[in-house]
Amino acid sequence: MSLLQVDALTMRFGGLTAVDDLAFAVEEGAIHGLIGPNGAGKTTTFNMISGFYRPSAGHVRFEGEEVTGLAMYQVARRGLVRTFQHSTLFAELSVLENAQVGTHTAHYPSIWTAMTGLDRAERQAARAQAERALDFFGLSHLAHERAGDLAHGHQRALGMAVALASEPRMMLLDEPFTGMNPEETKAMMRLMRKLKGSGVTVLLVEHDMHAIMGLCDRITCMNFGRLLAEGTADEIRNHPDVIEAYLGGTRHVA
Amino acid sequence: MLKVLGWLVLIAALIGVPHVLSFSQQEILVFLTINVLLVASYRLLTLTGEWSLAHVVIMGVGAYASALYSRHFGIWVPVSAGLGALTACAVALVLSFPLFRMKGFYFLIGSFAAGEIIRLLWKRFREPFGGPKGLKRIEGMPDLDLGFYTFDFFEPVAYYYLCLVVVGASLWVMWRIERSPVGLTFQAVHWQDKLAEAAGVNVRAWRTLAFVIASGFAGLSGALLAHYIGTINPNSFEVEHMVFVLTWAIVGGTATLYGPILGAIVLTVLNDILLREIGLEQWRPLIYGLVLIASVLFLPKGLESVVQRATRAARPAEPEPKPQEARP
Amino acid sequence: MDLLLQTGLNAVYAASYMALIAVGLVLIFGVMGVINFAHGELFMAGAYAVVALYADLAVPFLLAVAGGLLFVGVLGLVMERALFRPLRDNPLGGLVASIGFLLVLQALAVLLFGVRMEHVPPATQEIIAFSERVRFPLQRLWVVIAAIVLLSGLWLFLKKTRLGWALRASAQDPEAAALQGISINQTARIAMFIGAALAGVAGALSAPLVSVNPHMGHSVIITAFIVIIVGGIGSLEGAVVAAIVYAFIHTFVTTFWDGVIADIVGLTLMLLVLIVKPTGLFGTADRA
Repeated sequence: MSLLQVDALTMRFGGLTAVDDLAFAVEEGAIHGLIGPNGAGKTTTFNMISGFYRPSAGHVRFEGEEVTGLAMYQVARRGLVRTFQHSTLFAELSVLENAQVGTHTAHYPSIWTAMTGLDRAERQAARAQAERALDFFGLSHLAHERAGDLAHGHQRALGMAVALASEPRMMLLDEPFTGMNPEETKAMMRLMRKLKGSGVTVLLVEHDMHAIMGLCDRITCMNFGRLLAEGTADEIRNHPDVIEAYLGGTRHVA
Repeated sequence: MLKVLGWLVLIAALIGVPHVLSFSQQEILVFLTINVLLVASYRLLTLTGEWSLAHVVIMGVGAYASALYSRHFGIWVPVSAGLGALTACAVALVLSFPLFRMKGFYFLIGSFAAGEIIRLLWKRFREPFGGPKGLKRIEGMPDLDLGFYTFDFFEPVAYYYLCLVVVGASLWVMWRIERSPVGLTFQAVHWQDKLAEAAGVNVRAWRTLAFVIASGFAGLSGALLAHYIGTINPNSFEVEHMVFVLTWAIVGGTATLYGPILGAIVLTVLNDILLREIGLEQWRPLIYGLVLIASVLFLPKGLESVVQRATRAARPAEPEPKPQEARP
Repeated sequence: MDLLLQTGLNAVYAASYMALIAVGLVLIFGVMGVINFAHGELFMAGAYAVVALYADLAVPFLLAVAGGLLFVGVLGLVMERALFRPLRDNPLGGLVASIGFLLVLQALAVLLFGVRMEHVPPATQEIIAFSERVRFPLQRLWVVIAAIVLLSGLWLFLKKTRLGWALRASAQDPEAAALQGISINQTARIAMFIGAALAGVAGALSAPLVSVNPHMGHSVIITAFIVIIVGGIGSLEGAVVAAIVYAFIHTFVTTFWDGVIADIVGLTLMLLVLIVKPTGLFGTADRA
């Protein structure tokens, strides 16, 4: 049984069908790529899986359970967390505090213990979990900096650390390589392999073909809201439909 | 060490201050203490980014409820005050269902409408609310006999001490909440609700929680008010008072817990004490209005930013104290 | 039957001043993106202008009304320059500043005129009697006429003149309008003057009909908010339609039950709209 399964997934916005009858599966422990030209429906698919949109039709199953149409926080609590494209962070809070928000699910804050001060142990555990997530991404030395003041690359890493802080089964990464130079891309690829090594399954929406080809065990390619092709990196790289979909675009398939 | 000394001085000052004031000034002190609780509870609400205009009416819910419980059911006043606070929580919970479908400006107007409806219900129904004339001859707090001293809570000084204890305890609880993961969650909901939701936070539930807790403390302040002045009517909680609370919060700043308290104290001293001495107290709305405008134009971060700058300047060696840093 | 007709006439009168006030508020919000909480006090200022000019200084009534219109229009210009322009990037700050201005105007009214209610004698005692029991004072009719004339004039101005077009462009997309050479400052000034003047003229004409006191703005602003929320916050047509609808509801409920119940009904209506369809009846994309 696949960790994540998507069947007949469809999204209609008024008269426009953004995603049409999409089906694919993500195996546990894999890094799975979701690619396609602009407007292919990748982000919409992403949003449906994470609960940001309610699908017009179809099913999303996580760990065998139906999660279709659940609210984003409910999906997150089941161990399927997502990141956001632009540097979406709690800019006013410190780096550590950002990560602590990520521990919300595992260490649910209780108002009663907060008022009486009986939550010491819980808070320490939550803080430790947050610190582990920061450490994973090499952000520990910035723990008390204001998140909004961080360099771009660090902000990206922090976004992922917040997601990792909930100790998820699977992470949905929304274009993590955007705007990165080759150095940063290599560093981020290392981090992703590290994620995979620590047991987290990854579904990755991305335009950067170098990263996709280098990282992904399996790739699903979309076009015009539909499934175009699916397979390993080699299969996709040489797939005639995929090449044609990207023809004339500015991508080079590495 | 310095901190402990500072607290001791503050406590000594708080205990000593009523004795240097005239009778009418002592009354103002009682009201100020109650208002400190009111504005601090408002600030708790703004932690989640919600600015409600129903807050003073919810204070009134606590006042009316406590007055009615003590009168009709003969409940001991301190207990009825607690029940009044809980009633305010319950009303807030009910209101949260329609109101939290709205955001931003709509929430502001919607909360205003909800509050005004409640207020008009008090005005319209003489049974049990007393109609436009309100409730009179509300029970006062029962005397506290400690053997060596009897606190007669009819006296402003004694009532002030009572309020000091209640308000102090409440502020402590609010401070604890703010410093805890609960407070952090409130802030996360405020700054980036989508990101918070992606981290598993049920944003609507947490907004409601902040609203309910803040309302409970507002209700408590209302009960304290009712059992002191002995009469309340719908005009005691009308929109003008809400505007004053808003002014204290904005002038003081809401980034810290003490900001709005500072605003309330400065403006109350300015208005009720200084102006009254000069006999210009009728100018209160004028002063408040001008201060509010000046604050928005020239000091948008509030008085607390002045305090923060001053304390930073006085401690150059220490790292910048951050108001929201969660400590274990 | 007579009671229904009479109530209907009262509702028409109410719709007139509500429409003037609401349209002014929507105009200000539409062009400047800011909610003017002091709008009720602008109404009050118009009423007090008539108190000062007509009741105290014996200026002829219509001249006093014109004076009120100009005076409040200028107040609007003051607000624009002193409050809304510096806070253009901060609409919430503008809202708060307008609350501050509300307090200032109220306090000034108390200081200049005292807290007591003023009674302005009617400028005309004439009454149009449809029957023994159905009567419409001319004083009220003037309000209706003024509303029709001024709102039609505004409509023509916005639709048929270049300046009006500039205002509408500014409301739709201020940046694009600026790129076209439309001065934001100028459109803001015009919108503010007209919006305030409409409230002021409503207040001026109402002065002989209601009790003039420093707190009269309170119920005015509430009514205005109810109307613009129900009508749709960015829509001028919505404001007029909603004013008529609300005026009828409010007047009939007041007549057959009482004023407090009518207010509760109005607020509940607004709350329902906010819950179900916040953009109101004629909802357009709003800048709130």
